[in-house]
Order: sequence, then C-alpha cells, then structure tokens
Amino acid sequence: MQLPVLNDTPSPAEHGAKGGCSASSCGTTENQMDTLPDSIREKVQNHPCYSEDAHHYFARMHVAVAPACNIQCHYCNRKYDCANESRPGVVSELLTPDQAVKKTMAVAATIPQMTVLGIAGPGDPLANPERTFETFRRLSEEAPDIKLCVSTNGLALPDAVEELSKHNIDHVTITINTVDPEIGAKIYPWIFWKNKRIKGVKGAKILIEQQQKGLEMLIAKGILVKVNSVMIPGVNDEHLAEVSRVVKSKGAFLHNVMPLIAEAEHGTFYGVMGQRGPTPDELQDLQDSCSGDMNMMRHCRQCRADAVGLLGEDRGDEFTLDKIEEMDIDYQAAMEKRKVIHQAIQVEMDSKRLEKAAKAEQHKQEPKLTTRPVLMAVATSGQGVINVHFGHAKEFLIYEASPEGVRFISHRKADQYCGGDSTCGDGESVLQLTIRALAGCEAVLCSKVGYEPWEMLEAAGIAPNGEHAMEPIEEAVMAVYKEMAAAGKLDEKPEALRANA
Amino acid sequence: MAVSIIDLCVNCFACEPVCPSNAISEQKPHFMVDPKKCTECEGDFPVFQCASICPIEGAILDSFGTAINPPGSLTGIPPEKMAEAMAELQSH
Repeated sequence: MQLPVLNDTPSPAEHGAKGGCSASSCGTTENQMDTLPDSIREKVQNHPCYSEDAHHYFARMHVAVAPACNIQCHYCNRKYDCANESRPGVVSELLTPDQAVKKTMAVAATIPQMTVLGIAGPGDPLANPERTFETFRRLSEEAPDIKLCVSTNGLALPDAVEELSKHNIDHVTITINTVDPEIGAKIYPWIFWKNKRIKGVKGAKILIEQQQKGLEMLIAKGILVKVNSVMIPGVNDEHLAEVSRVVKSKGAFLHNVMPLIAEAEHGTFYGVMGQRGPTPDELQDLQDSCSGDMNMMRHCRQCRADAVGLLGEDRGDEFTLDKIEEMDIDYQAAMEKRKVIHQAIQVEMDSKRLEKAAKAEQHKQEPKLTTRPVLMAVATSGQGVINVHFGHAKEFLIYEASPEGVRFISHRKADQYCGGDSTCGDGESVLQLTIRALAGCEAVLCSKVGYEPWEMLEAAGIAPNGEHAMEPIEEAVMAVYKEMAAAGKLDEKPEALRANA
Repeated sequence: MAVSIIDLCVNCFACEPVCPSNAISEQKPHFMVDPKKCTECEGDFPVFQCASICPIEGAILDSFGTAINPPGSLTGIPPEKMAEAMAELQSH
C-alpha cells in the first residue's frame, strides 16, 4: 500500500476524498474512521482499538513479555504491580514468550471475538527485542489469524523497523507527548542511550528525534502508525495540537489523546507532586480542537499491559498461568470456529453500518432542530445496544446529541478506580461517586434503573431512562434528544451545564 | 570490587543484557550480580551499565554498600516530598 512519506504537507489522499461523510455533515456518530482513505480504513475497521464501532464486537489482549524500559516517564512508576489497578504499565504476571504464546492461543480459543494481540509492556517492547520478537515470530506462525500490534516510546524504534516489517505487524503505536525538548524534559527525566543515562533536555531531544525518525521509517515501509499522547495540563496540553499536526503531516493515521492518570498512591512523579489530570471537558475540548487536522480516537480505555477481553472489560483472571497450563487447545479447530464467528460478526457489523448510514441520511432529510447539544450517558456491554442495568454498569459511554446528529465523546468509569469497599475517602457511596462521574450529562440510558438511583439521578439533574433497552445506542440517544426538544427542555442553557456548541 | 543488587529490585530485566561481563542473572527473589564476574565495567565503560539503566533508586549498591542511584536521583521526586505523600496516605 502507498502512504505519504516524509512530506510536510498532508497529501490529498489523507483528506479522505472518498472517505464517507465528514464529522460535521454526518447525521449520526462521528466516526474517527470516516476521513480515512479506503485502503487504511479496510485494514483498521475491525480493530477494536482503532474503530469505535468495532470495539463493541471485537476483543483484544495484551501479553506482558516486555519488562525492561529504556526511559523514565513522570507518569510511570516501575515498582507497581496491583491487581486492583487498571492503567498502562501495570501487570500481575510477567510471561516468557512461550507462556505468552500459550496464553494467546488459550484466549483465542475461548474468546473467539479476540482478534488482536498487542505487546505494550509493562516496560517498552522494543527495549526487550528478543522477548518481543520471539513472541511475534511464533504467533505469526502458530496463530496466523491474529493481528499483531506493538506500542513503544520510540527510543529504540529506528533499529527495530526492519525486524517489525518481517512479522505479521501492520500497526505500531508510538507514544509521542511532545516535539519540543524543553517540554520533553518536564515529562521524561532520563533516557538510557548509548551506554549512558542522559538527563534533562539533552535526553528528551534524543528521544524526540528517535520517535520522529521511527515514525518516518514505519510510514516508508507501509506500516500503519497510531500516535498516543498523554494530556498533562500545564505541561503539554497547549502543545498537543502542534504534535497532532506534525505526526499527521508525516503520515500517522490516528491520534489518541489520553488523559493523564496521576494519584499520589501510584507513587509516580506527577502523582506525588500533585500534578492533576485533565477534566473530561478539557480533554474533549482538546480532542475537538485537534480533530480538524487529524482523526481522533476517543474510545481508548488505557488498558493494562496484560488486559484481556472487550475494551472496558478485563478477563485476565480466567487466563492466569496455572489456568492456561491446564487447558488443552486444539488451535486448528479453534481457527475454524473463529473464522465462522468472525464472518457472522462481520455480517452483523456491516448491516448495522448500513442501517446507521440510512438513519443518518433520513436524519438529514428531516427539518433541522436548532436546539443546543446535550451529553448523555449510556450503559452497554457491547453489540452497540443499550443492555446494562444502571447498577451493574462498570463504565458509561458518553454521547453528544445535537441537531447535527449523535457522536461518541468518551467513556467514564463508574466504580472506584482502585476497587476497594463501598465507601471510599470522603465517605461517598459508590452510587454518589457514579453520579458524580456523570457530571455534565443530562440523561442516562440503561436497560433498567433501580428506585434509589432513580431518585438520586433526578436530584442531580440527570434524567434516568430505561425505555430503550436493547435498542441501538445512536437511535435511542437521538430519540431521547428529540423528546427533550419537544418538551422544550433544550431552549434554555441550564446554568450548571456547559453546552459546547 | 563488585556492585550488588538488593531486594528493592523489581525484576525488570533491564540490567541483564547491558552488563559487559555477563555477571547479572535472573534469580529468586530478584536479579543478582555474581561478584566473581563483575568488573564494575572497568575497561569497558566509564559508568556502571547496570546502574545506568536501573529505574529503581537504591536497588544497586557500589562495593562500599552505597546506593549508586540515591533517593530522588531518578524520579526527580524530592525524598521529603515522597515521605510526606506516603505519610499522608497512611493516615487515611
């Protein structure tokens, strides 16, 4: 495939001349795939981490084979290993390549929707080239129906491109938080480079050069590149639009801006020093401001380096080393079964996509509302429908309904981050915390809502709604939006709510 | 003359491949330096390779038993600030 190489201006192909509808003209969901050229879209549209609608159907897993790292980031603590925590860099069991291959095949046979295997740490995969490439080499031979992905900080990337291109890897993620060494020095205290630890601006400069060089080399090889950035308020938040512009001009196809996770108990520099993460509004504003130049990704769950299952769920406990040891996997048989299931999912997704496009077309024909946009929370466990009880939801997907249509915005965790008991910290109940997590939303759509949360939601100005169980999310959100408009609830901008029109 | 790895080690494997003398090996409960093989990188590198990539402050000691990477030197977190944060967490 041909991708733009080393050019400073975006090529016309990237502007998606053929690429479906643009976000602003599309009746339903803004999809980050919409502006991609068809050749790339074909490759990524069934990838749960890249495609917003695919992540309702297909699952992914990470294998933790790469413990060593060649840099330090201020949001990472290399001492951490906590079963109750969910964030990148945290794992419970380190695997050898052999164990990783066994685990991947066990998961693929048990969860046939699992189509993607990634190596993401807990260190840097390319700082552990032997373990990482041994795992990839064996999987491309023994489980050829699994897509392979890798993510890296980029320092060792230029040296690894040749090897990466030999395996079944067509996607690489590079974490690029900055293109400015001065800002880099505030994020990366040191790197290990040519047998020395190099601190400060000098180290950051080398890292940035290696990242950019690696990005260019991957694009030249026809390997798809996604860029991850951690949004750190006051450090790189204003600079990320520039990062977005630079990586797009070099040919990255997707930019994933993620919020900083920083708590003192994580023992990270940012956590201990009191650096805050962005609010959901700040994150959304930045993603929106970058989206004019770049395809933005909004459904990322910032998975652990050993996560297993659909995004938003983790079934890692079912596949611990002692458990996979007892499983007897016939992968040939599993592959046959997987093929049939994947085809069935494809048929369902295709029909849903067509339905969605038809609805969008229909929406365009209807008289256009002039009401303000509204955020709504949705409880779903997949398949693109509203199918989770309010009290059972571990996370909510946030959608924005407006006269333009419905678009996916983000996800918010419902339960306490660290697990723990029913009251935490300030004596707030889990229910109160959940309701607080939904701040800014004016309705919550789930399959059912109990009596107690119903009253508390109403008191918080969030309308509970259980009338659209098993309905497709976008349709239900639009229906509720129209009801709100008809009831005259959208004429005035409520004081406490922000309407980012 | 040899460095040593102590129980602060988190078993991240980073030091093992960078040792010019193959003196480091994976052991239980943590990686260990074979004092007979360790040359303190003399003749190969001007700085200790293991301690130059190790991310954990205090995990590698020199032959006098002194931490090569003292508290605060790698994370940038001032030790008193770390102590403060930990005390704050424990009081809850």
